Amino acid sequence: MMARMNVAPAASPVLDAEHAAFILLPGISMTAASPGSGNLPRIGRALGCRVSAQRGRITVLFAGGQCPELIEALRASRAIAVVFSQPSTHRTIQVKGADAALEPLAPGDPALAQRWIDGFVAELAALGYAEPLVRAFLWCDPAELVAVGFTPCAAFQQTPGPRAGLPLGS
Amino acid sequence: MSISVDAIRDCLEGALPATIATCARDGTPNVSYVSQVNYVDSAHVALTFQFFNKTRENVLVNPRAAVLVIHPQTAARYRLQLEYLRTETEGPLFESMKAKLAGIASHTGMTGVFRLRGADVYRVLDIAQIPGQQLPSPTPRRNLLASLRACTQVFTRGVDLETLLEDLLAALAEHLGVSHAMVLMLDGPGRRLFTVASRGYPQSGVGSEIALGCGVIGVAAEQRTPIRVSHMTAEYSYGRAIRESTERSALGARLETAIPLPGLADSRSQLAAPIVAGGTLLGVLYVESPQDLRFSYDDEDALVAVAAQLGSAIRALQEVDSAPEPAAVPAPQPAPAGGTPVVVRHYALDDSVFIGDDYLIKGVAGAILRKLLADYLRDGRTEFTNRELRLDRRIRLPDLADNLEARLVLLQRRLAERSRALRLEKSGRGRIRLCVERPVQLVETPR
Repeated sequence: MMARMNVAPAASPVLDAEHAAFILLPGISMTAASPGSGNLPRIGRALGCRVSAQRGRITVLFAGGQCPELIEALRASRAIAVVFSQPSTHRTIQVKGADAALEPLAPGDPALAQRWIDGFVAELAALGYAEPLVRAFLWCDPAELVAVGFTPCAAFQQTPGPRAGLPLGS
Repeated sequence: MSISVDAIRDCLEGALPATIATCARDGTPNVSYVSQVNYVDSAHVALTFQFFNKTRENVLVNPRAAVLVIHPQTAARYRLQLEYLRTETEGPLFESMKAKLAGIASHTGMTGVFRLRGADVYRVLDIAQIPGQQLPSPTPRRNLLASLRACTQVFTRGVDLETLLEDLLAALAEHLGVSHAMVLMLDGPGRRLFTVASRGYPQSGVGSEIALGCGVIGVAAEQRTPIRVSHMTAEYSYGRAIRESTERSALGARLETAIPLPGLADSRSQLAAPIVAGGTLLGVLYVESPQDLRFSYDDEDALVAVAAQLGSAIRALQEVDSAPEPAAVPAPQPAPAGGTPVVVRHYALDDSVFIGDDYLIKGVAGAILRKLLADYLRDGRTEFTNRELRLDRRIRLPDLADNLEARLVLLQRRLAERSRALRLEKSGRGRIRLCVERPVQLVETPR
């Protein structure tokens, strides 16, 4: 909680309104990474996110039991990278933070995760993926949901093509 | 290592995209999508290197990576811990991944964006299954090992090459459910492949040619590695392969397309396995399907195993051939019936042969027919041994691994399809007979 108080919402957030709206669209795929001990990368799929009113903070939901090494790495290093991608358009951005911290779940978080799963199922169904398959690999016990918040400190284009890797807004 | 890479190969078919996490030296994490995680062996995978991005920058200084993959049928998820070893920018692995990527790019609308710069080879340190729900594994269409065993029975029958190829393609259809297949053999100077047998096409296409390095078949031959593409891709299509083939050799352009390559216009899955024996490339065994993702890693293994046996069988037939049986009593040849002579034209430039105005064949098979006809016209001979064909300077067989048997099959098939006046048949082990039904006139055009 100390860390969160230290990071005042940036005057001009890394994420503009359009990008914030993009990562909140239904059907956006999310995967996160963090450095574990020995600088070993840890990885895990996220199940939806929230963005604070001034876009100063992103909160990402995980099925904690499915990615314990990632959660441990986030807790220990506080460094996070999240890739957001829309399967139907390949539009992709990556957002990074250096102050990641576990947060208490908000009351609406389990419902948020469920809405996110439904949105992703619909997105992939339109691309021809069978619903039972998508539901199975997104499956999560609501009791194991974990929320991780961070202040975006850098964000990059990652849509395949010549602009991939450039900072957002450049 | 708890799980071996081969046990989760189905997750590496690219049906669902994989993601990769890496860390910079200062610990800044990076996460991105990877177009292809390719199976190399039980302890290695290779990832596509397409862009100079953060992932690449990171693994060069901190060679560790974590990858998430999903099983396309059961939804089982696995986390792979990897260690970057090296990047390959040419050779069999690179070419097989390049072909596969072309299929993925075209399937995902990324043609022209996805371009393989290198195959990044990683050691697999650990594979862990992520706890969660899983769908039951679908019942496989067939047991591939049992199918493979059934297919290999054709090699125990001791038949000639033409029968062997025919039986083999029939066995692939019956036991592996592969309805469209062809066998191509390497030509003399070793830069072209010609079709000697096919199954499942309206036209046999026997005699059609493809250049090494062109399309799925040509790349498999050039790199001596199986090439498997799981989606329709213009980059590796027949049209493209034939066009390039033609461009590479302007001289023979007209003839190369004279016999159309068989092949599905709407091929969505293609798999080519090189036929190699004694360290020498003999040809390519090729199968295809109008269905996406029709051939798996296991199908690839089955076809490669069949191709290896085919290579040994062809080599063995050749050795048998070199020691012909004692001369059989020549079959009495009926004197050619009267009628208009059939005009056979031979052009020394490329050994192309035309019957009347129709192109028949060129290359070594063309040179063989010219020798047979010249000897027949001079001495009335109709019986020939493979040994004398090998020694005949006019035919110019390239070396010991000459594929003579395959050339004879090709010539025999082309004559059967294109000429009523001339026929070639086997008259014993290592022997052939020229059957002439009409008077023949041989018109020779020297170089």
